[in-house]
Amino acid sequence: MSSERPSFGKGVKLRREADGAAILLVPEAALALNPSAAAALGLVDGAHTVDEIVASVVDQFEVEPAQARDDVTALFDRLAARGFLR
Amino acid sequence: MKRPLSLLCELTYRCNLQCPYCYNPIPLAQYRDELSTQQWCEVLDSAAGLGVLQAHFSGGEPTLRRDVSKLIGAASQAGLYTNLITQGTFLDDALLDSLLASGLDHIQISIQAPDAELADRIAGTEAHAKKIEAIRRVSDREVALTLNCVLHRSNHDSIGAIVEFAERYGIRRLELANVQFYGWAFRNREALMPTRAQVARAHELVEEARDRLRGRMEITYVLPDYFGDFPKPCMNGWGNEFMTVTPNGDVLPCPAASAIRTLRFENVRDRSLGEIWKSSQAFERYRGTAWMSEPCRSCERRELDWGGCRCQAFLLAGDAGAADPACSLSPHHSIVEALREASPELEPVPRRA
Repeated sequence: MSSERPSFGKGVKLRREADGAAILLVPEAALALNPSAAAALGLVDGAHTVDEIVASVVDQFEVEPAQARDDVTALFDRLAARGFLR
Repeated sequence: MKRPLSLLCELTYRCNLQCPYCYNPIPLAQYRDELSTQQWCEVLDSAAGLGVLQAHFSGGEPTLRRDVSKLIGAASQAGLYTNLITQGTFLDDALLDSLLASGLDHIQISIQAPDAELADRIAGTEAHAKKIEAIRRVSDREVALTLNCVLHRSNHDSIGAIVEFAERYGIRRLELANVQFYGWAFRNREALMPTRAQVARAHELVEEARDRLRGRMEITYVLPDYFGDFPKPCMNGWGNEFMTVTPNGDVLPCPAASAIRTLRFENVRDRSLGEIWKSSQAFERYRGTAWMSEPCRSCERRELDWGGCRCQAFLLAGDAGAADPACSLSPHHSIVEALREASPELEPVPRRA
């Protein structure tokens, strides 16, 4: 589980490409992100809460709040299990 | 043609250890004329301009270059993710401070075995205690750490103990990599080859450890080259996303490619990194699938494993354009089957400069 105000784990960086694509750089790999995952991870800074991040995704994409919460939580849990989020 | 995603900077082939599984080329003297700091900085800037995401600094032992922090700083400034691949014996507080101040993102430290006696025997010198100090030091800092151990016949039976070692030091990422047979390791392959029983047991141990440590430790297991039905997708395709620059500035599609004596590799002293990537003969020769002959040409796996490894095809079958003999469909597969039978009486020859 990631924390209430998630931050990136050691050696994890979000990179924006000139064409708008977003990539999560992690030890020994680079993970391509879809736009909503990129928006959520763009607010991972140890200051924003998961609630605020979900609200921001709902604002930017056509998605129901409950669905957005499920998606963001599932993404964060997957990354936390690999030590990429804390 | 895609952009390159990953650059391996082999800063020097000098090393204070003598591991017999080293993949560095045997004629090490040819690489003593190393690129200058300025030349490496230009390589890193060019790489970032081509779209490279990650720069890996390796060797030899890369921290033997006094400018290693400066080069990592240059890569980081250019927007590259930086990874230092080291054996850790020089990683004191001062060097670590300077590496982290330069923006280093990730360190990979290798051990030879979980206990000092075996580890130092493999390294050919007393190194293990210094590595443990380095692992402790790095764990306390704000940088990602991967622990790596190259597996071969002498330490294959220690896999359980390597995992315990990693647990003891709070390692988050462990890489257990079976030796790949290039350079010195190719010369020593009969002595390094794990036995069938070792390979089978390793598979069970790794699965057990992964289950038990899920969410706490990620274990990467690099399969042994000569034991599968299909070859590894080497470099994910020749000239597809990866390049190596050797200490003297040669640009290779794979760190072992200098073994292919039928190719001529270009050098960053003569031509830009981008031009070499896009149009050098060596990169063009085995890019994509058009160069393939049978059984690769009509194989449905041709864009999964890209015909396997060109270097292995050259070293074992004498033709870099042949299917990798590690593939069970290769007409040369019997060579690999014969090599699988370990020679228990052989001892590996230590690497020397």
